[in-house]
Amino acid sequence: MKSEYPLIVSKNISRINPLSLDDYIKNGGIEALKKALKQTPEHIVSEITKSKLRGRGGAGFPTGLKQSFTKNSCSDCEKYIICNADEGEPGTFKDKYLMENDPFTVLEGIIISAYAINAKKGFIYIRGEYDKSIKTVENAVNQFYNYKFLGSNILNSNFSFDLEIFLGAGSYLCGEELTLIESIEGKRGYPRIKPPFPAEKGLWNKPTLVNNVETFANIPYIILNGSEKYLSIGTHESKGTKLFCVSGNVNKPGVYELPFGITLREIIFNICQGMKDGFSFKGALIGGAAGTFIDETMLDCPLAYETLKEKDATLGSGAIIIIDDKINLKNLLSNILEFFKHESCGKCVPCRIGTTLIYEKSKNKNINEDDLLWILKQTEYMAKTSLCPLGQSPILPVKSIIKYFSKEIVSYEQKN
Amino acid sequence: MSKKIKLIIDGKNIEAYEGENLLKVARENGINIPGLCFHPRISPTGACRLCVVKINGINGLTMACTVAVKDGMIVTAFDNELEQNRRTTLSYLLAEHNEEYDYTYIDELRPLISQYNLENEKNRPVKSIWQNIPQVIDETSPVLTYDSSKCIKCFRCIKACEEIQGKSVLSFADRGINKYIIAGYGKWGESECDGCGECIQLCPTGAIVEKPNREKININNIDKKVISTCPYCGVGCQIEIWVKNNEIVRINGVENVSPNYGRLCIKGRFGYHYANDKRRLTQPLIRKNGKLEPVSWDEALDFVAKKFLEIKQKYGNQALAGYSSAKCTNEENYIFQKFIRLVFENNNVDYCTRLCHASTVAAMIRSLGDGAGTNSIEDFETADCIIVIGNNIIETHPVTATFIKRGKQKGQKLIVIDPKITPLARYSDIYIQPRLATDVALLNGMMNVIIKENLVDLEFIKNRVEGGLEAYEQLKLIVEKYTPDVVEKITGVPYDQYSKAAVMFAKAPTAIVATGMGMSQQTIGTNNVFALINLILITGKIGKKGSGINPPRGQNNVQGATDVGASPVMYPGYIPVTNDENRSRIAKLWNVDYEKLDPKPGLTTLEIMDAAYEGKIKGLYIMGENPVITDPDQLHTIEALQNLEFLVVQDIFETETTAYADVVLPAASLFEKEGTVVNSDRRTLRIRKAIDSPGNARPDWEIIIDIAKRMGFNIGNYSKVEDIWEEIREAAPIFKGISYKRIEKEGIQWPCYDENSQGQSTLYLDKFNTPSGKAKIYPVEYQEQNEKPNNQFPLVMNTGRLLYQYHSATMSRKSPVLNSYANDSYILVHPEDAKKYNINNKAKVKVISPRGELITTAIISEEVLPGETFMPWHFHEAPANILTRNEKDPISKIAPFKYSIIRIENI
Repeated sequence: MKSEYPLIVSKNISRINPLSLDDYIKNGGIEALKKALKQTPEHIVSEITKSKLRGRGGAGFPTGLKQSFTKNSCSDCEKYIICNADEGEPGTFKDKYLMENDPFTVLEGIIISAYAINAKKGFIYIRGEYDKSIKTVENAVNQFYNYKFLGSNILNSNFSFDLEIFLGAGSYLCGEELTLIESIEGKRGYPRIKPPFPAEKGLWNKPTLVNNVETFANIPYIILNGSEKYLSIGTHESKGTKLFCVSGNVNKPGVYELPFGITLREIIFNICQGMKDGFSFKGALIGGAAGTFIDETMLDCPLAYETLKEKDATLGSGAIIIIDDKINLKNLLSNILEFFKHESCGKCVPCRIGTTLIYEKSKNKNINEDDLLWILKQTEYMAKTSLCPLGQSPILPVKSIIKYFSKEIVSYEQKN
Repeated sequence: MSKKIKLIIDGKNIEAYEGENLLKVARENGINIPGLCFHPRISPTGACRLCVVKINGINGLTMACTVAVKDGMIVTAFDNELEQNRRTTLSYLLAEHNEEYDYTYIDELRPLISQYNLENEKNRPVKSIWQNIPQVIDETSPVLTYDSSKCIKCFRCIKACEEIQGKSVLSFADRGINKYIIAGYGKWGESECDGCGECIQLCPTGAIVEKPNREKININNIDKKVISTCPYCGVGCQIEIWVKNNEIVRINGVENVSPNYGRLCIKGRFGYHYANDKRRLTQPLIRKNGKLEPVSWDEALDFVAKKFLEIKQKYGNQALAGYSSAKCTNEENYIFQKFIRLVFENNNVDYCTRLCHASTVAAMIRSLGDGAGTNSIEDFETADCIIVIGNNIIETHPVTATFIKRGKQKGQKLIVIDPKITPLARYSDIYIQPRLATDVALLNGMMNVIIKENLVDLEFIKNRVEGGLEAYEQLKLIVEKYTPDVVEKITGVPYDQYSKAAVMFAKAPTAIVATGMGMSQQTIGTNNVFALINLILITGKIGKKGSGINPPRGQNNVQGATDVGASPVMYPGYIPVTNDENRSRIAKLWNVDYEKLDPKPGLTTLEIMDAAYEGKIKGLYIMGENPVITDPDQLHTIEALQNLEFLVVQDIFETETTAYADVVLPAASLFEKEGTVVNSDRRTLRIRKAIDSPGNARPDWEIIIDIAKRMGFNIGNYSKVEDIWEEIREAAPIFKGISYKRIEKEGIQWPCYDENSQGQSTLYLDKFNTPSGKAKIYPVEYQEQNEKPNNQFPLVMNTGRLLYQYHSATMSRKSPVLNSYANDSYILVHPEDAKKYNINNKAKVKVISPRGELITTAIISEEVLPGETFMPWHFHEAPANILTRNEKDPISKIAPFKYSIIRIENI
C-alpha cells in the first residue's frame, strides 16, 4: 500500500492484530464511539450528511440521507440496522479485506450508526463462504461484548445495542438489500417489491438501515475527525476514499484504498506496478459483473461516481478487472451472462427468461453485430421491466462491451 | 374504510379508496390491464411484469399490481411503449412455455397470445427454449398433477397455499429458469398437502390441474355451472358445480362470496363422486321374505301409509317417531317436523344434533338465549385471541380453520385445548392437553387465575349478567376451590401453562371461543359448556364485535334443521312446544285445530332409540340418518331397530341402518334439489339443483308430503320449494326478512326480522336473548365419570373425525379421492401403553369395551396421553360406536362418545 495517499478505512490494517481489540484501542479505536455517545443522534446524522459519504456497496446512495430516512420513519418504533457483508460481486473482495484485517472499525461504525438512528438490534450478514471473515468478526463481536461496547448501556451510556452475525448461503441476490432482509427473516432469497424501501419497512417490516461494510468503516473517521476534514479528500461529488479491488494480469493485484479521483492509469501502472510481462493492457471491467467495460481511452478519467457516470460507466463496488490482450472477450461476455443466468432467482419474467436468452445467444459460435444488438435490445427491455437490480444490470456490461469491443467479439467468429 | 380519492387512468376520471390496489381499481373500471400473477385473494407479487404502467412523477415503468392508489395519481395504462413491453414479456413467457392445451382448464395466458398477435411463432421476437429446460412432472398427488413446462412461476399456487389456506406446503425448487413448484421436500404425494386444491383454482395456466374427471371436461362444452352450498360440514362453503351429461365433473369455490370467499377443502372440492355413484338408491324397496325388493313408488308409499296408520291405531300417537336430517334442506326438515306434529300428532322428532352440539345448544340457550354461534366466520381472522377447545377444527371445519391460520399470520394469539394433539396445536401460542373429561376443572382453574389476577370485567358483569355481582360472587365460591394443586391433579395440566392461557385470553381486547364435540359429547357436556360460558362472561368476551362463543356445526344443515323446528322441544324459530300462544299461531298457519298440536315435549334422538328398545316406539321414520354407525352402543341400537314393528329409512344409499328397514325410500341428494340450509354462523344459503336424481329417487319433501296424503293428511300444497320457505318465514320470526331473492348471491345471518334488516353478524350486541335480556352464570363443579378405567378395561377411548371422511362415511367413502387419503380405521395408543400392553405399531388388535368389540389397527402415537386412546368413528367395519355407551347428559341427553373404557388385545 502506497502511504502517500490518505487512509481512512484501512488505516489500521497491518498495524493491528485483527484478533486483538486491545490493539485496536491502543491505536485509537473506540474514540469515535466515545465521542459519538456524547453527541446527540441528530448531530451524528447531520455530520454524516455533511460529509457527503456515499454508500460503498455499489449504488453510491448518500449515507446521511439513508440514515435520516430510517431515523425519521417513525419516532419510537423498533428499528434495525444491517451491515451488508454478503460480498458477491465478481471481482470484489474489499469487504473481506476489511473484515479479515480490521473488523473493529466496521463494528464501531455500525454501533455509531445504530446510535444515530436509535436501533437496538443489528445484524451483520456475512457471505457464508467467507470463513476467515466470519471468524474474525465473531471474535471481534465477542470482544466488543466483553468490553461492553455491545450489549446493555454501552460505555455506561443509556444506549444499548445488540449485534448478531447472520451467514448468507451462497446467493448473489441476497446481497441486494431487500432480498438480504428476506433471508434474515428466514425466507427464500427473493427480492421484495420496492417501495417500500428498507428505511420505511425493512426487517420484519420495521425501519431498517442497510449499509455496506466499507460504508460503516468510514463512519468512525468522520465522527472523530469531522466532516470538514473528510470533505477535503476526494472529488466534487465523491468524497473520501474508495477500496479498489484490482485483479487480472498486473504485477501487484490486490485491494488498495485510494482517494476518489485517482485515475486508472495511476492504479495500474504505478500502484499495481504495471502489466505482467507478456500481457498488454486492453481495457477493464469496473464494478464487477454488474459493472461497465472501458478501454484505454478511459485510462485518464478520474475514478469517481460523477466522472464515470458522464462517460456511461459505473464505479460500482470498486472492482477493477483488468483485461489484457490474451483474454477472449466473447468468452468473457458469455461468462458474465452465464453468471447472471445462474444467479437469477427467477421471480420475475424479464430476468428469469432474459438472462437465459442472452446467455444462450452469447454462446453461439457465430456471433455477429446483429446478435450483439439483439442481446443489447433484450437487456434494455430487462432493465426497464425487471423487479430488482439483477435483471436491470446486464445492460451495463453488455452495452459497454459493445461500445468498446464489438468489432473484436465479432472477429473471433471469423478467425475460427 | 379509508377515504375516497380521485385518480386518472388513461384520461378517465376514476374514484377509489385510498390505498386500494391500482390494478384492481383499473380493472374494476373497465381498464383491462393484463396481468397473470395478480389475484385479488393474495398479496401482490410483481412477478409477471405484464401490468406495467407509467405514473406521473415516478421514473420508469411501474407494475400496477404493486401500487397503492393515491389522490391525484395520473396513470398511463396503455401506450405504444407499454404495449411493446407487454408483447415482449408475453413472448418471453411463451419462450419457456409448453403451449399444449387440452381444454380442461381455463387458461388465462391464451387470450393474451391472440390479443398481442403472437399466435404465429414467426411473429414472436424470441424463440422457444422450453424444450431445453428440464421438465418436471409430479403425478404423485391423488388430486392433482403438476407440469413445470406449463408453469409461469407466478407464485399464485404458493400464495394460495400459504396466504389463503395457511398451509405453506408449496415452494419453488431450484432457481432461475429451472425453477419449479414442489410440495414439502419434493413429491406432492409425500408432502403435507391435504388436497384442498386451492392451488388448482388459482393456477392461471393449467400447470396444476386436478386429476379426477379431467378426461370428461372440455371447458367449451360444459352443460352448466350451478352455484350451490357444499353438502359436507357446516361452514356452508359456496361451490360452483360443473355438470356434463348429468354428471358432476368439477367443483370450484365461488370467488368473492361469504362465507368461504372461494376457499374449499378436499371434501368440498373432490368429495362429489357419491352423487353419480352407481350404488345410489334408484327405486323404493320393501322387505319381502327378509329381502329388500324393488317396488313402485305407489306400492311403497301405500305400504308405508298403511303401516304407520296401523301402528297409530293400535298403539296410539306416541308409538311413532321420526329422525329428521342435518343433511337435508331447511324446507325438508320443516316439512318433516310438520309431518311428525300433524300426522304422527306428537313431538317425537329429533336428529343427529342430539349426538353433536346438543350440550352446547342446551347451555347456550339457558345462559345466552340462542343455540347458535354468536359471531361471523370472518371474526376468526380478526379477533385478538382465539381459544379452540375440544374442536379439531382443521379436520372438521377446514375452511373455518383457514380464517384462524390467517389471523395467526397477522399476530393473533391462539390457545388450543384438546386431550389429543390436533393439527392446529402446532399453530398455537399455548397448547393445553388436559386429560379426557376434565374440562370443567381446567376452566374453573382458569377462572380462578383470572379472578386472582384481577382481570375480571366487573362492568360487564354488572351491566349484562343476571344477578350482576351477586351472581359473580356465587361463581367465585365455586371456582375458588380450583387451586393449582386441585387443577393439576385432575387435569394433568401444569399451572404455569393454563394460567398463562387464562391471562392471555382475559387480556385480549377481543376473543372468540370455538367449542366442539370434545366439550359437548360428554355425560357432563352441558356443564362443560356452562363453564366455558362462565369464563367468557366474567371476562366480558361476548356481546361485542369480534368476541363470543362459536360451535362450528358438523353437517351443512345441523343449524338449520333445529332453526326450522326439527326438535322435540322447539317449534320453528326456537319457540318451545309448550308455548300455547305460539302453538295457536302455528295452528292457524298450518290450518289445523290448535288442540291437534301436542303440547308435551317429545323424545330426543337417543330417547327414541331407548323407547324402541323398550317397545314403546313401534314405528320409526328415518330421513337421511344412519344411527347404526352414529348412535352410541351399537348393539343396543341394532336391538332397538330390530325391536321396531316398522322402520322406514329414506336415504340416498343403502346404509348400515337400511339393513334393518322394512321400507327403503330413495331420496335425492343435495345436488339434485332446491332449497336452503343454515350454516354455522347463521347464514341462510341456497341449495340449487345441478343434476337430475338417478332412477326414481325423489326430493325428501315430496316423499314426506305423499306419505302424509296417503295417510289422509294434507300437510300443505306447495308448487315449488320456495313456497315452503315462505311458510317457514311465517312460522319462524328469525327468518322473516330472508327471501330467496335476497340470498340469491350471498347468505343473510339470522335473526333477520324484516326485509330491511341486513341480518345480524354478531349476536347479543345490545342484549341477550334470555327473558331478562341478560346472560346467566351457571356455576358448575367438576364431576368424575361414572365409568372409570379398571383392571379389566384399563384404557379410555376418545373418538373423533378425520379430514378425509365425513360422518358415517355414506357420502365420503364413495369418493376414490378421499379414500386414497384415509380409508382405514385405527386406534391411537400412547407409546407407554403400547409398551405396557405389548402392542406393536400397525398391528391388528381387538378393542373391547363393556358394550362390544371390534378389530382395528393400532398406531403408536404421542398425540394421545398415556392411558388414553383415540379412534375415528367413520368406519363401519370397525365401528367405534360399538364400544361407546348410552349414558346421557341429564340436560342435553347427549351420549359420552368421547369417553369409553376399553382394553386392547393382540390378535
